[in-house]
Amino acid sequence: MAKLSDGDIYGTTFSIESMKIIAESIGISNLPDDAAKELADEVSYRIKHIIQDAAKIMNHSKRIKLVPSDVDAALKMKNIEPQYGFHSADPLPFRFASGGGRELHFIEEKEVDLNDLIQNLNPKAPLDVTLRAHWLCIDGVQPTIPENPPPVAKEMQKLESVDPINKMNKPNKETSGKPTTGKQKLRNVETVQIKQLATHELSVEQQLYYKEITEACVGSDEARRAEALQSLASDPGLHEMLPRMCTFIIEGVRVNVVQNNLALLIYLMRMVKALLDNQSLFLEKYLHELIPAVTTCIVSKQLCMRPELDNHWALRDFASRLMAQICKNFNTSTNNIQTRVTRMFTNALHQGDKLPLSSLYGAIEGLSELGTEVIKTFILPHIKSIGARIENHLEGTMVSNLDKIASSHVKQLIVKVVTPIIKTLKNPPDQFDDFKAEYGYLGFSLYYSVVKARTQPTPTTTPSSSNMTASCITSVGANISRSIPQTPTIIQQQTSTPSRTIVMNQSGRVTTPTTSQKIVFVTQRSQTQVNQQPTQQPQLQGSQNTVVKIMSNTNSNNQAQKIVTGQQKLVVVGMPNSSSSASANVHTVNTQSGPGIQGTTPNSSGGVTTTVNQNNVINQSGQPPYSLVQKSVFVQQPQPQQQQQQKPKEQPPQVDDLSHLV
Amino acid sequence: MSNSQAQSQSTMDKTQLLSNVLRILKMYNLKETEELLKQEAKITDDISNSSQESGVNSVLTGYKSDGDPETYEESYLELKKFVEVSLDIYKHELSTILYPVLVHMYLELVYNGHTEKAMNLMKRFGPEQDFYYQEDLRKLALVIKKEHMNGNELIDTFKSNQFIIRMSRDTYSLLKRHLQDKKATVLLNIIHEHLYFDMYEGVARNKSQIDSTSGSVIGEATRQDNKVKVYYGIPKVPDIQTLAAPVEDEEEGTEQDAPDKPKKKKAKKDPLFSKKTKCDPNAPSLDRIPFPELKDNDKLEKLRAFREATKRVTLGSETLPSICCYTLLNANHTVTCAEITEDSSMLAVGFSDSVVKVWTLVPQKLKAMKNAEQLQEINIEAEDVFVRMMDERSGKTSRSLFGHSGSVYSVSFSPDRTLLLSCAEDGTIRLWSLQIWRCLVVYKGHMYPVWDVKFSPHGYYFASASHDRTARLWATDHYQPLRVFAGHFSDVDCIQFHPNSNYIATGSSDRRVCLWDCLTGNHVRLMTGHKSPIYSLAFSVCGRFLASAGSDCKILIWDLAHGHLVAELTGHDKPIHTLTFSRCGNLLASGSVDCKLKLWDFTKLAEDTSSEDVNVSHNPDVKSGDTYMLRSFATKNSPLIHLHFTRRNLLLAVATFDGSNP
Repeated sequence: MAKLSDGDIYGTTFSIESMKIIAESIGISNLPDDAAKELADEVSYRIKHIIQDAAKIMNHSKRIKLVPSDVDAALKMKNIEPQYGFHSADPLPFRFASGGGRELHFIEEKEVDLNDLIQNLNPKAPLDVTLRAHWLCIDGVQPTIPENPPPVAKEMQKLESVDPINKMNKPNKETSGKPTTGKQKLRNVETVQIKQLATHELSVEQQLYYKEITEACVGSDEARRAEALQSLASDPGLHEMLPRMCTFIIEGVRVNVVQNNLALLIYLMRMVKALLDNQSLFLEKYLHELIPAVTTCIVSKQLCMRPELDNHWALRDFASRLMAQICKNFNTSTNNIQTRVTRMFTNALHQGDKLPLSSLYGAIEGLSELGTEVIKTFILPHIKSIGARIENHLEGTMVSNLDKIASSHVKQLIVKVVTPIIKTLKNPPDQFDDFKAEYGYLGFSLYYSVVKARTQPTPTTTPSSSNMTASCITSVGANISRSIPQTPTIIQQQTSTPSRTIVMNQSGRVTTPTTSQKIVFVTQRSQTQVNQQPTQQPQLQGSQNTVVKIMSNTNSNNQAQKIVTGQQKLVVVGMPNSSSSASANVHTVNTQSGPGIQGTTPNSSGGVTTTVNQNNVINQSGQPPYSLVQKSVFVQQPQPQQQQQQKPKEQPPQVDDLSHLV
Repeated sequence: MSNSQAQSQSTMDKTQLLSNVLRILKMYNLKETEELLKQEAKITDDISNSSQESGVNSVLTGYKSDGDPETYEESYLELKKFVEVSLDIYKHELSTILYPVLVHMYLELVYNGHTEKAMNLMKRFGPEQDFYYQEDLRKLALVIKKEHMNGNELIDTFKSNQFIIRMSRDTYSLLKRHLQDKKATVLLNIIHEHLYFDMYEGVARNKSQIDSTSGSVIGEATRQDNKVKVYYGIPKVPDIQTLAAPVEDEEEGTEQDAPDKPKKKKAKKDPLFSKKTKCDPNAPSLDRIPFPELKDNDKLEKLRAFREATKRVTLGSETLPSICCYTLLNANHTVTCAEITEDSSMLAVGFSDSVVKVWTLVPQKLKAMKNAEQLQEINIEAEDVFVRMMDERSGKTSRSLFGHSGSVYSVSFSPDRTLLLSCAEDGTIRLWSLQIWRCLVVYKGHMYPVWDVKFSPHGYYFASASHDRTARLWATDHYQPLRVFAGHFSDVDCIQFHPNSNYIATGSSDRRVCLWDCLTGNHVRLMTGHKSPIYSLAFSVCGRFLASAGSDCKILIWDLAHGHLVAELTGHDKPIHTLTFSRCGNLLASGSVDCKLKLWDFTKLAEDTSSEDVNVSHNPDVKSGDTYMLRSFATKNSPLIHLHFTRRNLLLAVATFDGSNP
C-alpha cells in the first residue's frame, strides 16, 4: 500500500504506485502517471477528511480508539454510502510482511468455514450490559476492594523497593488516604526539613484484617481458610501488610519444623501460594525470606511426628511446585534464582549417604519441578547411586519400616519423572540389559515403565508436574492435584499406606457390560478398631481390610445402604463412621491421580487417632476409563459409631481433612 | 459575528454579489425570479455571463492575487525577523499575527495554483507555530488544490471571517509603522483583508497571558463580544414558603408514618427561607422567560427536594464526599452517554446500537401505566391517583427504549422524571415517556448528528447541539425550534442550561465557549482559551462561573460577569467528558477517559478570584496548574462518562469497564 514519506506531518499522500495497483485491481491496466498523481492527491485529501470526521464520532462516543463503525458514520455524515461488511468490535490486526525487497501491510483475515456456522445453530449470545454499584471512595478514602484499582500499582511498589528515597520526595497527597490538611496549616511557620522516616503503620482495620486472616489460615475451619486464602490471593490492597504476612509465614515455618507440625506447615505453604497468586503484590522484596522457608518444607529431614504414616511427601511436592512457580515468576538475569535453587538441590544430591532419604526425596522433587532439562542434567546421572542406596532399604532384611517407605517413595518419584525423559532419549527397541547397566537397581522399574509408556496410546504420563508451568498448582482452593503415572488398569493398594486407598478402574477387571449389575467395593473397617485409651501409638496397619464384592442390584447386605445409581456417573461413596458429611466424600478423580491419600492428624495430646473407612463404590459398566478414589476422612474421635446420629454442626469433630493433598 | 460577516460582505463588490445570486438562480432553474431580479437590478445578461466561467467558486475570489509567488516566503521571513528583533514587551503580541498571516499566505498560494510553493511555505514555517495551532495547520495542509478549497469547513471559516487579534495600542502602532516602511504588498493585503485588530489601552501582554486566551479557530474574542450585561444570578424561588405551608399540612395528613417531620423542623427552616429571600441584583426577573405553571405534583416535588437539601452535607477540602460508582460491565465500547435524574432515582444510558436503556437506582421498580380500560376504572378524585394509574405488576429494574437509528449521543431527564430526551446520529431528537415507555415526539430539525441535548432545569424547554454548527432551543410542545443559535464555526459539541434557564452555554470544536441569551437569541459571551474541542460544560451553583473541559485535558473556569478566564485546572491526561459541581457549590468534580475522577476545591478558587480587582478591558491573572486539586481517584480501567451529586451531596459516577486492555 502507500509508502508514507518519512516524518512528514504536513501533506502525506498516497503514492502513485498505490494508485496504479488499485487501478489494476479494478481492471484499469494503463493508468497514466498524471492521472495517478491527480488521483493520489484527491484520494488522500478525501480520505483524511473522512478520518477527521470519524475522529469526531469517536470522541463523542467517549472512546479513544477509532473503530470501523466510526468511519461508516463519518461517511454517512457526508452522504456517502458506508462500507458495508467491515464491522468489527475488536481492533483489526494490521500486519506487516516483507520479502523479496517488497514490503506489504495487510489486514489479517481468518477464513471462516461456513459449515461450522451452519452446524453451530446457537452461537453464544453476548453478555448483556449490567450495572454494578460499588464504592469508589468513602469520605475521601478509597476502599481497597476488587472493583477499585490497587492503591499502589505494582510498578510503584517496585520503584519503592528499588529506590526508597523516591517515596519520601513525593508529596503523599494521593497515597496517604487521609486528608492532608493538618500539615498544610503549618506551612507558613518556618519549617526545618527533616528527613522523614518511612512509616509502616497499619490502621486498626488492617490490624484486624491481619489477625483474622492469619487465624483463619492456620485455624481448624477449612471453609474459613478457603475464604482467607481467596482474600490473600485476590485482594488488591495487601501491600502494606505484606511484610507482616511474610514474617508470619517465615516464623511459622521455623517453629513448626522444629515441632514437626505437618498440618501447620501445609497451611503456611498454602498462604505462600495465595500470596504468589496475588497479581497486585510485588513479592520480590521478600523472596530472600520466603525461599528458605519453602526450601525447608521441601528438604527438611523430618516434617511430621510419624514419618512412616504422615503424608509429608505431599507437602514436599507442593512446596516444590511453589518453588518452581517462584523461579518462573521472579527469575531474572540478575538474581539468578533458578540457578541458585538448582545448585542448592544438586548439592544435596551430592551428599550421598549422609543425606536422609526424606531430604533426598525433597531434593529430587524440587529439581524435577524445574523442568525436563534440569531432570536430564542433574537427576539422570545420579540414578544409579540413588538406586544402589534404596536397594539396601527395599531389598534388605534388616531395615526399618521408615526407610522402606521412604525408599519406595523415592523410587516411585524417580520412575515418574525420569520415564518420559528416557522415553525421548532412547530409541524404541528398549533393551533390559541396557537399562540395568545404565541405571542399576532402578533399571528394572524404569525399563517396565518406559515400555509401558511407549505402548500407551495417549501419553498420559507426560510429566505435567515437571513442566515448569504453574498450571498444576493454579487451583487456589483446597485441592492440590498430584499426578503420578501408574497403570490405570489395576486396583492397587499402596504399600506405604496399607488398606487405605483404593484405586480402581473398571476397564481393567470389571468389564460387565450389563447395567443391571452394580459393583460395590467396600472397604470396611473392622469393628474392633476403636480404642478408648489415649495412646499415641498408631494402630492403623492391618486393622482394616478391604472387601470387594460384586453383587446384584437388588440387595445390599451391609450397613452402607446408600446405593447411588446413575446412568453415566461414577460415584464413590465414602461413608465415614462419623456423620461429618458423607456427601462430601463423593469424589471422582482422574485416572492418573494416584496413591496419595494419606492422612495425618496433628499431634494431639488427647484422643486416639483413628482412621475410619467405609466405602461403597457403585459403578456402572460401559463407561469411560475413570478410576475412583475414595476420600478418607481422618477423624479424631473416640467412638465414631455412636456419633452417627448426630448432626455435623452440633458435633464439630476435630477434622483435620488433609484431602487437599490428594 | 454578524458584525464581522457584514464587514466581509461590504468588502465584496455589490454587483458581483448580485451576479452570484443570479448564477445560483440559474443553476436551480428559477427563471422567473431571475428575470425579476435582473429587471430590478438593471443587470444585462452579459454581466452575468462574463463572470460565469469561474463558477460559484468565485465566492473565493478574496484570495485572487497577482502577487509573485516567490515573494511570499520572503515577506513572511521578513515579518518574522521584525517580530524577533522587536522589544520584548511587544514581541509576544506581535508574534500573534504570524499564524494568521501564514494561513492566508498559504491559502492564497493554493488558490492561485502554486501548490509547490504553498507546501514549501507550510513545511518551513508550519512546525514553528504554537502547538495549539498545529491541528488546524495539519488540516489546512490537506488542501493542496483549488478544488479542495470549496466546501472545506475550515477554509470557509478563514475566508469569511477576519482573524481577531487583540493588541495594545502601542504594539499596533509599531506594527503599522513597520508595514508602511516595508511596503510589502502581499503582507499589507492580507493584514488589511483578513485580520481584525481589537485594540486596547494599556500594557502589552506577555506570552502566558496571550497563550491562555488564544487557541480558537479565528483568534480571540473581541471586547465587544462580552459587553452585554448577563443576569447570571439565581432568582428567588417563587414563594416556596407560601406554597409549602398548605401542602405540608396535606402531606402530614396523608403520611402518618413520617415522624421525622414535626413542627420543630418548620421553625428551623424559616431562617433558611429568609436568607434566600434577599434578591440577587444580578438575577433576571422571574418572568423574563415564560414558564408553564407549576402543577401540584411539581410543588410537592420541590418541597421534597428542599427537605432533602436540608439534610445535605456541606463539602469542602476537609470533608470530602463519598463516591458511589456505577460500573457498566460487558459494554465493550458500546456505551456513549449516561445521565442520572436530579433525585438520583434513575439512570439512563445511551448505546451506540441506537438503544436507550433506563435503570432504576432505588428499590422502586420502573412501572408502566395501565392500559386505557383499566385507567377508566380509577377514581380520579383519589389522592393517590398517580400511584394507582401505574401497573404494579409491570415493575422492572431496567427498560429499553428503541427508536433511534444511530448511536445515541446524549440523554436528558426532565426535572419531573416523566420524560426523557435522547439525541442521536440520525439527526433526530426523541422525547420518551417514562410512564408508558414509548416515544412521544421525534424532533427533526438538525441536518446532521445531534451531539448533545439538555432539558432546562425548569423543564419545558430543551436545547440541542449538532454537527450542523448550530445549537437550537426547543419547547416540548413545539416541533419546530424556538431559537437557532448560529455562529460557531465548527460542530457544537456540548450544551448546558444556566441554572436560571435564561441562558445557554455551548462548547464547540472551533474551541470557543459561547453564552447565548434564550430571550433574544444573541450571543452575550464569547470565551476563547481552549486549545481543542470542548466536550463538557457545567455552571456553578451560584450561576456566576462556568467550567468547561474537553480534548485538551484542561478544565477552564470562566467568570460570566465579564467573560474572563479565571483558572486553568490541569491534571487529567485524556479528554474530559463530564464535569459537575457539588450541590453546595464548594467542589467541582471532573471525570475523564483516563479513568480518573478528580475533585477540585472551588470555594478556594472563588475566594481567590473575588479578592482580585477585575475590570472589563483587562484579564486577571489566570490561575493554572493543579493547586486546587483535592484528590484524584482512579477507577479500574473504567473511563468515566457521567458524574452526578445527589441532593445530599453523595457523588455518583457512571463508568464503563473496558476489559480489552487490562
